[in-house]
Amino acid sequence: MKKGWIYAVIVCSVSLGIGLLGAGIGGAHKVKHTPEQLKAFEDVFMEQVKIGDLLFHGDAATEKKLGTKLSRTGMACAMCHPFAVDTHPYEFPKFQEQINKFSTLRDMINWCIEKPNEGEILGADSDAMKALEAYIYWSNRGSKLDPGRH
Amino acid sequence: MDTPEREKRSIPSIDPAAAGGEGITRRAFIHRSLVAGAALGAASQALFPLISTLDVAYGAQEFRFAWISDTHLYPKTLNTRFVEKAERAVNDVKAMKPAPDFLIFGGDLAQLGDPVELQLGADILKNLSLKKYFIPGEHDWYLDMGATWEKLFGKQPWSFDHKGVRFIGLDTVSRGPDYWSAKKMTPAERMGHMATLDGSVAGPWAGVGADQLQWLAKTLSNWPKDKPVILFSHNPLYEYYPPWNFWVRDWRDVQEVLRPYTKVTNIHGHTHQVLYNEIGTMRSIGMLATSWNWPYPPQGVPALTVPMVRVDPGDHFDGVGWGKLTMTAKERVDYQYMMWRKDVFSQTQVDSGTGDNMNQILSPRFADRP
Ligand code: HEC
Ligand SMILES: [Fe+2]
Ligand SMILES: [Fe+2]
Repeated sequence: MKKGWIYAVIVCSVSLGIGLLGAGIGGAHKVKHTPEQLKAFEDVFMEQVKIGDLLFHGDAATEKKLGTKLSRTGMACAMCHPFAVDTHPYEFPKFQEQINKFSTLRDMINWCIEKPNEGEILGADSDAMKALEAYIYWSNRGSKLDPGRH
Repeated sequence: MDTPEREKRSIPSIDPAAAGGEGITRRAFIHRSLVAGAALGAASQALFPLISTLDVAYGAQEFRFAWISDTHLYPKTLNTRFVEKAERAVNDVKAMKPAPDFLIFGGDLAQLGDPVELQLGADILKNLSLKKYFIPGEHDWYLDMGATWEKLFGKQPWSFDHKGVRFIGLDTVSRGPDYWSAKKMTPAERMGHMATLDGSVAGPWAGVGADQLQWLAKTLSNWPKDKPVILFSHNPLYEYYPPWNFWVRDWRDVQEVLRPYTKVTNIHGHTHQVLYNEIGTMRSIGMLATSWNWPYPPQGVPALTVPMVRVDPGDHFDGVGWGKLTMTAKERVDYQYMMWRKDVFSQTQVDSGTGDNMNQILSPRFADRP
């Protein structure tokens, strides 16, 4: 039954897409992107990656700007995760034995802030969280998506 | 980690008797003969610790020495975690019976080269009354370019002979190419870049240098080629993941100098992880940090390394410790990782610090690039 429901959603969206194309109605996603637009999208993303990189490396100025306290031990994320190694963003969501629950990447970012770093956890949708997530994904791009793997 | 989870992670123990004698525990595994290794290999899986004997032509009495490195002390006002672990290592060495002949401190005593940190380290190590030798790490050096270090611990390199072995201590950190003058960095900024393992600003700073190579050749020149040499360095003397500066840039020149000597063992710190390699006739052993564990890099872990277990980030005593080294009467050195928690070596793919990363592709950071 669940499967059938997903199938229905797929059929719906596919036909919707074709419908829009066929009708030729002008819409945000219909118009071809200009190189300038694409560059602007990329810039927005890379700006977040950069902020995340700085937070991940314990940059005091960036922390101050965002009002975060990611560590009270003197240790930054990058001291245990150089190049964001071993953060495994491509494995989430998965069961995480440390917290004994089915977890997202954001859960584990907060877990590492709280436990090894003794810092202040971030709101799940906060700017700092999104930036950290951007940096971690960007550093691991090209890795094989493999959700659920321990 | 609570008990049931720990049990999930651990593997049925190996019978020490079958493994070739007393003293083999999963916590602190002693490297023994190849014969024992074969027996172990058959009894377990390919991932079980590779046995690597360090044969040293020394036929008389047995002696031991201890290794502590990478304590990375911060001032006590900031955090005392690393202080507690440095103190624990010192107390462990103190409790060794029989006492070791000496202690080698392998560098990175301080975190940011602060005189307060270096003095704190000196005070902690003062509690050990045995003979101590020191080599510097990059974290000890780049705030005041070694001034405090040399005042407290003297100059490197050095060499001494002990019970038929020539011991040599190298300085692999002080010859970093100048990346600070042109950019008018403050000493603290210079140190900050040096302290960032995955940063790109400090460049390939680790090196032995032409002058020290010459000194090494000269120091070895009156030593018989078939007699044991034990070489201490902060960084490993081979090419190991240069993007994280886990190497010494002129390691090939070092190997050239060492080539005629058939029994060289290099013992190094800096990598904060279980590591073993053989380059030519040189055997290389990477020791644990007391402070924290570095993960393995995405490439370049020597094939001869049996990876250590993945570390529990919730337990700051996991994945760290110090080292015991024994020159046995059977003419070899056994080395023992004194890790404070869990087993040292991984025995399944999923628990291995390298084996769990088969899907991982990483990119260098860019925020520190111009
Ligand atoms: C003291 C070392 C240490 C520090 C500091 C640290 N971590 Fe971790 N972290 C670890 C270890 C060890 C693991 C477990 C890795 C494994 O299981 O392979 C881990 C796991 C993670 C994971 C989950 C990976 C997985 O597959 O389960 C994420 C995400 C993560 N860390 C993010 C961070 C972030 C973000 C920071 C900084 C706020 C940080 N860590 C700081 C040691 C650390
Ligand atoms: Fe270190
Ligand atoms: Fe180091």
